[in-house]
This record gives sequence, C-alpha cells and structure tokens, in this order.
Amino acid sequence: MNKIMLNILMIALLLPTNIFPSTKLKVVTATADLADFVRVIGMDKVEVVSLTSGNQDPHFIEPRPSMVMKVKNADMLVRLGMDLDIWMQSLIDASRNSKVSYGGVGYVDVSGKIDKLEVPTGKVDASMGDIHIFGNPHYWLDPENAKPILETILKKLCYQLPSETEYFQKNYKEYLQKLDSAIVVWKKKMEPYSGEKIVTYHNSWPYFAKRFGLSLVGFVEPKPGIPPTPSHIVSLIEKIKREKVKVIVMEPYFILKVAETIAEQSRSKVIVLSPSVGGIEGIKTYLDLFDYNINKLVESLKN
Amino acid sequence: MCKYLFTVILLFITLNNFVFSQDDQEVTPLPGMRGTPSNLPDISVIGDITGKLSSEPTDFDRNKILVREIELALQGYIYPEIRADVFLAMHRHDEHFEPEICEAYVSFLRIINGLSLKAGKIHVDYGKINKVHEHHRPYTNQPVALTNFFGEHGLVGEGVTLGYLMPLPLFMQIDIGAWRLEGKHHHEEDEEKSLTFGLADEVYTGRLWSSFPLGETSELELGASVAAAHGSHYQEHQDNAKVFGVDLTFKLWPSTYERLIFQNEIFNLHREIPVGKLNRWGFYSYLGYQFNKYWDAGLRYDWSENAFPENKKTNSLSGIITNRLTETTVIRLQCDYNFGLKSYNAFLQLVFGIGPHSHPLQ
Repeated sequence: MNKIMLNILMIALLLPTNIFPSTKLKVVTATADLADFVRVIGMDKVEVVSLTSGNQDPHFIEPRPSMVMKVKNADMLVRLGMDLDIWMQSLIDASRNSKVSYGGVGYVDVSGKIDKLEVPTGKVDASMGDIHIFGNPHYWLDPENAKPILETILKKLCYQLPSETEYFQKNYKEYLQKLDSAIVVWKKKMEPYSGEKIVTYHNSWPYFAKRFGLSLVGFVEPKPGIPPTPSHIVSLIEKIKREKVKVIVMEPYFILKVAETIAEQSRSKVIVLSPSVGGIEGIKTYLDLFDYNINKLVESLKN
Repeated sequence: MCKYLFTVILLFITLNNFVFSQDDQEVTPLPGMRGTPSNLPDISVIGDITGKLSSEPTDFDRNKILVREIELALQGYIYPEIRADVFLAMHRHDEHFEPEICEAYVSFLRIINGLSLKAGKIHVDYGKINKVHEHHRPYTNQPVALTNFFGEHGLVGEGVTLGYLMPLPLFMQIDIGAWRLEGKHHHEEDEEKSLTFGLADEVYTGRLWSSFPLGETSELELGASVAAAHGSHYQEHQDNAKVFGVDLTFKLWPSTYERLIFQNEIFNLHREIPVGKLNRWGFYSYLGYQFNKYWDAGLRYDWSENAFPENKKTNSLSGIITNRLTETTVIRLQCDYNFGLKSYNAFLQLVFGIGPHSHPLQ
C-alpha cells in the first residue's frame, strides 16, 4: 500500500506544471503596456496575459489565487520593477515556478536599463509619503523608455525561443520604426506647448512631462499616496492661479471631485489621461495610449 | 520509505536551486533583499496600540489604552529560492509583556513542480484567518470560535509543512503539516487560563483550498481544513481532539479601490475525554466593504460553543470602521455586542508599521 502511495506521490510531483501544454511561449506581465510590448515582438509565437488592466492603480493591486495559476503556467514573467508591482512577489512565490522567479530564465524586470528619475539620495521614510526607494516607477510614460523595455523583452524572448530570433528581431525593428515615427508626430504636436505648466493628481507623469517639455508645478496629493488636506488644497489653488496652470491631469481611477473643486476655484480644467493601455476605452495599444493622451492634452491646452 | 522520500526531496532541492545569472543590468531587488549595501535583511516593526471600553468590570483591559503587541520582523533570503522570516513579538498578557517568537521559519519556495516546504514556528495553514497575523486582520479581535478551539493566539506550531499546488487549470493547493505544540498544566496558570482550550503535543494538520474566478472582478475561495491532536491540558483531561473547518470567501472588486468581501468559516470540534465525547460548533461571518483607497467598514457575526462539558455559547456582533493610512498603518474603531452576556466592548486601535514588511499569499 505504501509503495502504491509513494508511486502516486512521485507521479504527481513529476507531472508537468501545465497539463495542457501549448506550443506558444506563455508570458505573464504586470501591466497591459508590458503585454502589448511582448505581443508586438512575439506576435503569434507568444500567448500573453496581463495580470492587471489599465484602469487599475498599479500601486494598489490585491494578489488573487487565480493570478497564481497564470504565473504558474508562464514561461516568462515581465514586470516593471522599482516596487510598483511589489504585489507580484507573493504570486511568484505561491506559483513555485522556478522559471519565472528571480534569476530564473523567464524572469524579466524591464526597469534595468531605464534612466531613472527622482531616485532618493538621502534617507527615505513614510514621512515623505509613499516614496519609491528606487526612483519614480512610472517610466513607461516616456515613449523613449519603450525602447530599452522592448530591447530587454527581445533579449529574453530570443533566449527562450532561439529558433525564432530572426522573427523576433524583425518584429522588434518594425515596431521601433513605427514608434520612432509616432514619437516625431507626438513631439511635433506638443512643441507649441513646451514649458507649459501642469498639475497632476499623483506624481505619475514626470517621465512624460520631461519628454514633452511640460513643467510639473504641483500635485493634488500633498505627498505621494497621501490624500489632499484642506490647507494643501487652498495653497494649490493659489499656486495654480499664480503659475497660470491650465490643466490638472488625473488618472481614471482617482476620484475627480477634489480636483474638480480645485479646477473650479482656480479656473483651470481637469483632464483624465490614461496611464496605461486599457485605462480608457479604445486604448488598445501602447501607440494608442500616447495618441489619446497627446491629443487630449493638446486639445485642452489649446482651449 | 521515509529514507527514500527524504533522499528524493533532498535531490530535488539540489536540482531545482540552480541560480540563473541575471543579465548585466540593475534590476529591482526583491522584498528580502533590501538591506544593501550592508547585506541586512528587510527589517520592520509593527505595533498595535489599542484603547478599550468595556461593560465587563472584570476585564483587565477595560477603559485603558495599552500597547498590545510590538512585532519585529527580519526577512531575507538565505539561499537562492530559500528564505527565512522571523517575527519576534512582545505580547501584553494583562499587566506584563511576554517576549515570544511569533513565527520563525525557513521556506523552500520551490522544491519541485508545485511543491514547497516550510519548517519552523508557523501560523498553521488552517482556514482563512488563522495564518493571518493579528495586525493584518480586518478587525481588532480574533473570531470567538478560533479562540475557543485553538486558544488565544490561534493555531501556531513548531514543525514542518508541505504545500502542493496541484497541476490543474484552477488554483487548488494542499497543505499538510506535522507540528509540536507545548501543552499546559493547571498548576502553571491561574484558574481562568486553565479554562482555555487548544491543541497540543503532536498536531497533524491538513488543508485543501481552491479558488474560482467568477469573472474579471470577482473570485470565490473555498477551503477545508482539519487538525488532530491532544487537548492542551492533556495531562489533566486525557483528551484527544479533532477540529474540522470549512471556509468560504467571496471577493468582488467593483472598481480599483472598492472591494466587497464576504468571508465565512465554520469549525467543528470533536473532543474525546474519558467520560465521553464532545461535539462542538462555532463559526464567524464577516462582511466588509472598502469604499475607497482609505476607508472600509465591516460587520462580523460570531457564534460559538465552547470546548468544555459545560457548554456556554457566545453570540456576538461587531461593527468595524477602518481608516488605512498606508498598507501597514491603520486606525480602526470596533464595537462588539455580546447578546448572551448583554455586554459591549469598544476598541480604538492604531496599528503602525515601519520598514518593509511582507507576508506570503494568504
């Protein structure tokens, strides 16, 4: 009896992680933007699942057991790093998938080659709000940063499927061309507004602002992750008036009410931009994301 | 057979812990790797300061603001895919503090396909709430059934547990554990504490839990657990006990910050004492709603029999409001009403956290 039990146990342990194998490389990503990047290079050779959608606050994701299965079945995991997707760690551990754990063949942290902004140099603690100790993690909102992200993903895809290296490289180059052309268009559209001052709800847009020559002069949150206080609102209203700020940029998941009150009293305007693919209906790709955000911003600044 | 199993497990640990070199780029260190440049582990402190109003004149905590617990957590990797988590705590026991190893364990995160192992002192994987540290629970006090059947701190044992994530399309995990819990003797404690029940000596536990996504925004978790051991006062009572548990949790996320949770656990205690058998039940049901990023509210209903021949039932309702300042710092107001005793308790709790603090998926 013991022998039978032991054999059953051994068979169970040796069963492949996924009992429904697929020929495609299975990739799980932290965000929909990363999923789009994997898709444009991997095309029909990959099966991509994002653990979150663009209308979710990436700081505030509750890991679910169902997500464990997505990580467990993955050959490759792509994450933003810089602590924005720290919630992924419990999923990786619970999945017991060596391939996608830190140092595994399928573990990809795309923040490695990013020129990071706002990296704290002194002591960091919670008195400063929800500060990310490795710098501001919203780096994908600079379209130029898509290039090192894509390069990192390409490298890993080629490593995972060496026979498809040529195919991946071709897709990567084609996409880079598209991206470069789009960046030219976006920059041109934003050119007349270079130096324009904006206020955002959360400090999510420094990479975007730097790339398109905008000046971030304030935030609705007094410190990252801290809800606005009445005194902060009053001083922000004064600042918006003084600096002649035209727009307050919001993400779709933040509550509009406070920003609208500030806008009303400071004669500015609230606009909702999408921080990620899928954040607003119709934004299906990374290129769509910037098309939408740039057009929306230009339209608001023009008026 | 044991020798064979042991060799196989060791072999798989060795085979599965090859370190794959990361590219020559600076990637984000994982939780547990933050102590650079001096190789310190992640260090954090969690404190629990609670004020209590009570209509019970004999309650020691009544009308006082007390530090209930201070926990120091040291967490880090000791080898690739093997991490150590140590939680040292100072608990208040009436007038004095008692130092305690709250948890201290080593996790072999991946032994082989789906299999992991933990060894040390651990909050046992039994039901939904037992393994959650008190400061992470959405209420101030432990559900009554858990206290009645497992003691004041729930089921915490020293031993080893294996967790196996089954190769199925849906999340389904089996945990089995063998533990050693210290028993208690009447002469060591005051009379009141002698009346507490728990499991002790060699404790064997098992849990099966699964999760079913009901759509993009909702999930149903089901679990079944069992624990078998002597009673905690075995020398006096010569009792054997088994506790069976079933849990059901439904979660719905209507928007990025809103969350509805409906969590229920039922416990059934079978206790065999020389003069006969006891069959006792207890359950709690918690309904919580998170309105936005900072606020949530909940109701918990507790019903439980005790573990003793003279059966006393507890029947109470709690209302809870929580303000979340950060992930680890919360301010909570909770009011309990005990229908049997017609008594009330009100708690104002401040849980604070300093430093990086993490727990596995719960």
